[in-house]
Amino acid sequence: MKLILAALLALPGFAHAQDLIIPQFTEEVASGITSVYQGDWEFMVGGGVAAFDCSGDGKPDLFFSGGTALSTLYRNDSPTGGALKFTAVTSGAEMDRVTGAYPLDVDSDGITDLIILRSGENVVMKGEGQCKFHGANEDWRFKGGDAWSTAFAATWEKGQTWPTLAIGNYIDRTQDAFPWGSCTANWLHRPATGANGFAEPLPMKPSFCALSMLFTDWNRSGTPSLRVSNDREYYKGGSEQLWHVEPGAEPVLYGAKDGWKPLKIWGMGIASSDINGDGLPDYFLTSMADSKLQTLADGAAKPTFKDIAFSLNAIAQRPYTGGDIHPSTGWHAQFEDVNNDGRADLFVAKGNVSEMPDFAMKDPNNLMLQGADGRFVEVGDKAGVASMKTARGAAVIDLNGDGQLDLVVVNRHDRAQIWRNSSTKFGHWLQVALHQSGSNRDAIGAWIEVKHGDATETREITSGGGHAGGQLGWWHFGLGADDTAQIRVIWPDGTKGDWAHVKADAFYNISPGVGPTGP
Amino acid sequence: MTHFARFACALAALVLISPAFADTRHDEAAKVLDTRYKLVLELVRHTPTYTPPVASRALAYLGVASYEAVASGSEHMQTLAGQLNAFTTPPQREAGAYDDAVILEATLAAMTHDFFGNTGPTGQHAMESMDAKLGVDAANGLPDDVVARSVDYGEALAAHIFDWSKGDGGAVIDNMGFPRSYSVGKDPGRWLPTSKIVQQQAPLLPDWGKNRPFAMPTGATCALPPPPDYSEDKASDFYKAADEVYQTSFKLTDDQKSVARFWSDDAMLTFTPPGHWISILNEIANVKAMPLDQHVDALARLGTAMADAFIGCWRDKYEFDVIRPISYIKKVIDPKWEPLLNTPPFPEYPSGHSDQSAAAATVLTQLFGDDFAFDDQTPTPDGTPQRSFKSFWAAADEAAMSRLYGGIHFRPAIENGQAQGRCIAAFTTALITLK
Repeated sequence: MKLILAALLALPGFAHAQDLIIPQFTEEVASGITSVYQGDWEFMVGGGVAAFDCSGDGKPDLFFSGGTALSTLYRNDSPTGGALKFTAVTSGAEMDRVTGAYPLDVDSDGITDLIILRSGENVVMKGEGQCKFHGANEDWRFKGGDAWSTAFAATWEKGQTWPTLAIGNYIDRTQDAFPWGSCTANWLHRPATGANGFAEPLPMKPSFCALSMLFTDWNRSGTPSLRVSNDREYYKGGSEQLWHVEPGAEPVLYGAKDGWKPLKIWGMGIASSDINGDGLPDYFLTSMADSKLQTLADGAAKPTFKDIAFSLNAIAQRPYTGGDIHPSTGWHAQFEDVNNDGRADLFVAKGNVSEMPDFAMKDPNNLMLQGADGRFVEVGDKAGVASMKTARGAAVIDLNGDGQLDLVVVNRHDRAQIWRNSSTKFGHWLQVALHQSGSNRDAIGAWIEVKHGDATETREITSGGGHAGGQLGWWHFGLGADDTAQIRVIWPDGTKGDWAHVKADAFYNISPGVGPTGP
Repeated sequence: MTHFARFACALAALVLISPAFADTRHDEAAKVLDTRYKLVLELVRHTPTYTPPVASRALAYLGVASYEAVASGSEHMQTLAGQLNAFTTPPQREAGAYDDAVILEATLAAMTHDFFGNTGPTGQHAMESMDAKLGVDAANGLPDDVVARSVDYGEALAAHIFDWSKGDGGAVIDNMGFPRSYSVGKDPGRWLPTSKIVQQQAPLLPDWGKNRPFAMPTGATCALPPPPDYSEDKASDFYKAADEVYQTSFKLTDDQKSVARFWSDDAMLTFTPPGHWISILNEIANVKAMPLDQHVDALARLGTAMADAFIGCWRDKYEFDVIRPISYIKKVIDPKWEPLLNTPPFPEYPSGHSDQSAAAATVLTQLFGDDFAFDDQTPTPDGTPQRSFKSFWAAADEAAMSRLYGGIHFRPAIENGQAQGRCIAAFTTALITLK
């Protein structure tokens, strides 16, 4: 008789922990961040954090959604390579009922703006510099509506100087006795014709209670599609979605005839990265119990994805420490190279929805390192990030400019946590920021390619995904033992930059035809 | 004469004796019953432990509770106490006026919280919202003392039935029904895990067949003969049964695919198979403006029959521990084969849907007659078109065959499952509800 336990221990990946550099994270309890994501039913989802530099010092500042509490912007005062220090500042973006936020230079003035998702009217905040913002809904004719907004993604469609914003909406809040089947329409805010700002939002039907969205060029066609991860708890007849969004045309869903296979999960977060080196993005979808890691089954010809989470040991299905064996609940997910070994690792924020006894109450966040064979190994406890608090949004980002990625996690009904990557043994790295003149200053939709040793890393520059929060600024690459690398940018218009040789362990700015240059 | 025809005769006799029996509050009570069951079916769909056997159990207790709530004030209805296993005499109404709508609301509100206490935040929110709305609506215009007396009685009845339920062996569902440790059979032909979800590497509820049934004596009362002996020989019955599933999968008509999807009734994505049949009954009750006493009689019989069918079926599933078509066909016939439907995470023989649908058809045919035509809209909110049936057996036969079309059952599991369902339901149809 074969024991199930033996089968589980035989899962791929278990034999490789000793081969990996396990990063060390130190929780900075005196960082100055005191934000708590609060609220009952309407705030059981959401809780995102936006990471971007609004102070102009090159280090990312943090904007936290607060639910029924006010949202808060914290200025990053961390010394380079030192302890993480933040100071709450009055930004003008303080408001209640905030579920999430994403940074984006909407009006392409070179100052990052902020899209704030709410249970109520969504708000676009225009950045003024020095971490000051003012509401711009009226100026930009942005109709914030009145819904339970929970997802966001942005792209610049071809020929447009203003972005297209997709906003995902959740349950109809008025249907409290029968909320199931009451998913409200997502919105596509496209640029106004012949003027600055936005046109009337286009309802995207059908909509199935989106909790994450991402404009992503899944087949490298040059035109990003919109992936939408939906919560099956509330939709009827729904599934995960992929919209073909052709400029000037109504979005069209990919369907069975295109090769798209229905998938019904408690979709909560999207992370993307080219983890198998084929130049095409792969997608991790968080859910309850059965997260998915999808790769194209038959190449870029059609959007047929297969799940490789089990074979790569990236299931993150239940707690790996703490003794609770119930299934996990995953939220924000993000691929980043946390040990600078040249391979994308995977962080997943975990936390019970709300006292659901059949799911883990002690649900540690995951940190899965990718090994040389592509398989993932859980090291959250060994790395020091296995918090049992009820996590929602998160950001894996270099907060103190030392080249090692730090971590911030938003918790429901509890203080946000922030960890400094305090590893002493790690590989080389570089970080890249993209700059364009004209519109789309941060080159959303570009691809950065980095060659080092025998490896080529490919990264799509996106705005959206995760769970209710995103980041903008430096894009990080681990280089392992390689102290030099080559960089090339494929710009959103398809123009391919030249390969440039760079030294490791530095920050580089790149513009079309210019760079890389130091910060 | 159908059971309901006898019901109508009894009622007519009583009305002649007591014209005041005509309950002006009937519509309010019917509204409570309909609305509460709509919520319950959503909770079945959205509560993580509510796999089909667990759903059948809750629906059985809710049916009995609904029945006793109404029967306790009726001169022509007889309690099920003493007829259902270990069900003792429920609390009696005392002197004073009562209201059926308020009693039903109080009973079902308490039962809903009792059985779905582990549902998620939205289910909790919905239950609280419905408690507030339905409770107020049901009590509207009634004297305070009648409301208070009726609420007290409904809650006492619910407590009695919930206490009864605690001893049946199915009250505690750990790890969503998947055992924390389990040894998968190593002999050829034994069940093997069919999904890549870690939790489902062990099969669902292996001890469910040991539960106390409602109307049949024990889980083994209608035990089945074994399925064909396992064999990989092309001349064997087992291989032929597998090959039928395999060959059928390539010849499915659009209608057969629709049939498979219509009856898929997956846990966590639908009302589950027992919920599907409860939905059928409630649709009929709405369309036919079914009298309250008949409706609760039907809910009790249908619920208990399907729950007993799951107990008998699950006993035999683990008695024979048969491999699923996907595992056999991939090993023996075609490693690349994929069935139309998701394969459920438990042994193959007998087919649970075939079994409990046969039980349902047996009960509903007794109540409504052999040729009762109806439309079934249960899955339409999920985009699946409604289907129409000439009889309950036409629906049950289709539900049974849907498992072969879907590639998740061999024919012997379907046919013998139906036989078991008929056998088990006979104990429910024998229950006496009319005095």
